[in-house]
Amino acid sequence: MEWVRFCTAAICLISAAFMESIAVYGVYKFRFCMNRMHAAAIGDTMGLALGALGLIILKGFSWFSLKMLIVVIFLWMTSSVSSHVIMRMEYSIDEDSVKEETGGK
Amino acid sequence: MSKKRRDYKLTFYSRIEDFVNGKEEFLLYRPTGTTEAKKLETLEEELTEAADLLEKREARQKVQDNTEPLDFLKRFHRLYGIIAVLVCATMMGMLMITVSWLPKFGEPGNPANNEVIARYIEKGQEETGAVNVVTGLILNYRGFDTMGETHVLFIAASCVMILLLIAEGEEKKSSYAFDRYLEPKNDIIIQKVAAFLVPVVFVFGIYVILNGHLSPGGGFSGGAILGAGLIMYVSAFGFKKTQRFMNEHVYKIAKVSALCFYVCCLSYYFYMGAHGYDNHIPLGTPGNIISSGLILFINIFVGTEVACTMYAFYALFRKGGL
Repeated sequence: MEWVRFCTAAICLISAAFMESIAVYGVYKFRFCMNRMHAAAIGDTMGLALGALGLIILKGFSWFSLKMLIVVIFLWMTSSVSSHVIMRMEYSIDEDSVKEETGGK
Repeated sequence: MSKKRRDYKLTFYSRIEDFVNGKEEFLLYRPTGTTEAKKLETLEEELTEAADLLEKREARQKVQDNTEPLDFLKRFHRLYGIIAVLVCATMMGMLMITVSWLPKFGEPGNPANNEVIARYIEKGQEETGAVNVVTGLILNYRGFDTMGETHVLFIAASCVMILLLIAEGEEKKSSYAFDRYLEPKNDIIIQKVAAFLVPVVFVFGIYVILNGHLSPGGGFSGGAILGAGLIMYVSAFGFKKTQRFMNEHVYKIAKVSALCFYVCCLSYYFYMGAHGYDNHIPLGTPGNIISSGLILFINIFVGTEVACTMYAFYALFRKGGL
C-alpha cells in the first residue's frame, strides 16, 4: 500500500515537472502573445494541480492537504482571469496583429 | 503590419489622443462598409505602398554603403559572446572558491553563534512577549532598523508622487479620460472573480498583520497582501468606486498618522531603554492575540504604511493620481 501511494505521488510530481518544463519552453519558443499565454497557462493550471495532487497523496488527507487544495482553487481562478485580461489588453492595443494571426476573425 | 501604422493619424493611439483633446468622437472599432471607411482604406493602402517603396530603397542603399561595418559587427558579436561566457565562468569560479572557504552550516564554533543570538533565542519571548521570535527581534530589539525601512517606503512613495503626480487642471482631466481606454472596461469576468476574491484577500491580509507576533508574517507581508487586494479591486471596478474608501485624503491621513504613531511607539522604547527604566506596558500571556505590548500596534502601523505605498505606486504609475 505504501508503495502504491509513493508510486502514484511520484508519477504525479514527475508529470507536474514535465508540464512546467513544457510551459517554460513554450513561453520562450513562441513569438505571438496568445500562444505564449496559452503555454504559460498550462504550467499554471495543469502543472500546479498535478504537483499539489502528488503532495496531497504523499501527505495523506489532513488540514495540510485541505490548504493545498485551497491554494490550487485560488490559483486556478486567478490564473485564468489574468490570462483573459492579458488577452483583452493585447486585443485593445494591437488589434491588427491579433486579426492577422487568428485569420481575420 | 508595422508598415500600416507608420502613419500616425491612422493609429489607435492618435484616435485616443484626438478624443482626449476633444477633436473627434472616439471609435474603438473603425466603421466598415460606409463610404468614408472605404476612402480611408484606399488612402491607407496608398500610404503603405509608398512607405514600402521608400523603405526598400533605403535598405538597398544601406546594404551598399555599410558592407564592411556589418562584417565588423558580426565579428564583434562573436567575440562578445565568448568574452561574456569567460567573465561569467571566472565570476562563478571565484564565488565557488569563496563559498568553499566558509565555515560549515550549523557548527557550534561558527563566528555567528555569539551571545547576541543566544540572548534573542533564550530570552526573546520573555522580554518581548512575542511567540514569533523574528517579529520580536525586528520590531523590538532592532526596531530602529525597521523604522528606517518604513521611512524608506515613505520617502520612495513621496519621490514617485513628486515625479508622477498630476496637479489640477486640464492635464488631470485628460489623464482621467485616458485612464480606462487601454484597460479592460467593466469586464464582467474580472468583476465576478474580484467580488469573490477581494474580501478573502483583505481578511487574509488583516489576519497576517494581527497574527504577526504569533505566527510567520507581520506588518510587511500583511501590508503587501492588503495592497495587492486594493490593486485587484481597482483593476476590476475602476477608480471611481475605489475612491469612495481610498482617495487622496484617506491616503494622506493613513500614511502620515501610521508613521507618526510608529515613531511615538519606538521613542517610548528608546527613552525607557536608554534611561534604564522598566517597561510599564503589560506584555500579556504569550500566545494570545492581545499580548506582546507595543509589537501588535507597530505591526498594524507598518501594515498600513506598506499597503498605502503599494497602492499609491500602482495608482500613480497608472494615471498620475490617487
